[in-house]
Amino acid sequence: MKVIADLQLCQGHGMCENEAPEVFRVVDSGDGTYSHVEILDPEPGGSLRTQVEAAVRFCPNRALSIEDST
Amino acid sequence: MTDSPRPRIVSGAKPETGHYEEFLDHPAHFLYRAWQECGELAEFDLNGVRHVLVASADIQEAIFRAPDEQLSTSAPYQYMVPVFGEGIQYGAPLEIERQQVKFLSNALRPAKMKAYAQAIAEEVEAFIADWGEEGEKEFHDTFKALVLRTSTRCLMGEEFRRTLSDEFGALFHDLEEAISPSAIVDAHSGEAAFTRRDEARARLQTMLMQAVRERRGSKEDALPDMLQTFLEARYADGSALADELIPGMVIWIMFAGFHTSSNTAAWVSLELARHPEYQREVTQEIDEVYGHGEDLSFTALREMPTLESFVGETLRLHPPLCTLMRQVMQPFEYKDYVFDVGTILVISPYVSHRLPDLYPDPEKFDPHRPLPEKVFASIAFGGGKRKCVGNAFAFLQVKAIMTALLSRYELSLVDPPETYREVMPSLILRPSSPCMLRYQSRSTTT
Repeated sequence: MKVIADLQLCQGHGMCENEAPEVFRVVDSGDGTYSHVEILDPEPGGSLRTQVEAAVRFCPNRALSIEDST
Repeated sequence: MTDSPRPRIVSGAKPETGHYEEFLDHPAHFLYRAWQECGELAEFDLNGVRHVLVASADIQEAIFRAPDEQLSTSAPYQYMVPVFGEGIQYGAPLEIERQQVKFLSNALRPAKMKAYAQAIAEEVEAFIADWGEEGEKEFHDTFKALVLRTSTRCLMGEEFRRTLSDEFGALFHDLEEAISPSAIVDAHSGEAAFTRRDEARARLQTMLMQAVRERRGSKEDALPDMLQTFLEARYADGSALADELIPGMVIWIMFAGFHTSSNTAAWVSLELARHPEYQREVTQEIDEVYGHGEDLSFTALREMPTLESFVGETLRLHPPLCTLMRQVMQPFEYKDYVFDVGTILVISPYVSHRLPDLYPDPEKFDPHRPLPEKVFASIAFGGGKRKCVGNAFAFLQVKAIMTALLSRYELSLVDPPETYREVMPSLILRPSSPCMLRYQSRSTTT
């Protein structure tokens, strides 16, 4: 699975980091505005699937998505 | 620019005021008529200022993704400056305002949600403790009183909440009364509501400054409330938020979450009472996750898909904010259209949530309705970088209230269904008064 973040939607709430800290981290934007997500592992292994799906679901801004290559 | 097509113009404009009077009467209903008549783009005139209502997932996305420098939120919302204060939000330069929004979002981080959930749960339990076996209540006012308690508790801490007086709620009421369509035109006219607003704002400054000073002088450990976050806030250059601005931050975050959440709780209750079959589903889910020894705060933080979808469907049909505005600062293109500088683009969640291609049979309340694929179709909290940062907190609050209520009571209508209407005395959509509902202990009904 591939994890994608739409940074134009991200407000750095940190729900994803809360769910799957192995995959997501909220980082400072550096300019004083919103923090935003950084994807630590863009292609996490299947063992993290449940956590990543929860992160996608809990994002208040629907900024995250999973792409499955078939 | 002159050869670009122009949107269709809504009928019924008057010579000088344009569509202002009809807009004033009921903004949501006027905008809905505008869409019915003109479709995706509907041009109208409020006292000589050109407005264009837009309604499609595509243009909503284009607008929500446009930079502030092109489509300004600040310009059309200058009528909020006397409410929050100079130096706050749209009363501050863009780069400062953006950082202040981050202060708000820092106060709403998931790590803090647990403490808020606990505080909200305690307030809700205490609030309904003496409701007895059954009764009737006006649910709009009831939830206003409740959300005032939960919000002040999360914002200002337990001590401030304990000393909460009727005056505090009354002052917020005076602020709310000044957020009217006429404020859009001139928020500084001699209107009595604006004088009351300015007096209320000055009094709130005094009350809240006292709380700030007391907290600064406190020797206790840092408290887990929003006030503390503001006291510790730092701009990118390292400077602190001036103490005098903290009351404005409190009023801002309070205002954003007070009437919106209390109205939503009222609408949710009303829809539950209207639809006993869905109420049973929601109650069943609550029984499954709550009442096995966990406390309410734990439950409110959990995933409750049935209740969440029910709240989502309520927000679709009854979005508290019906007009989201952007002023064009640099020409804005969409399809073949070019919107000139000065035009105000209006996104109406009320209208957009009734688009039949996205929501078939739109007037039907259906909590099982699938969420549209397009992210920008569902916009009760706005969208993009300026989306309401309190949306998770709002859900937490409404879930805690409804869980506590439905674990004890069944709700039903008191008056004939058609008498519950949607009204807009200010710019917030709310149920008509009195919104009377009956509650009856579930132990006596089952």
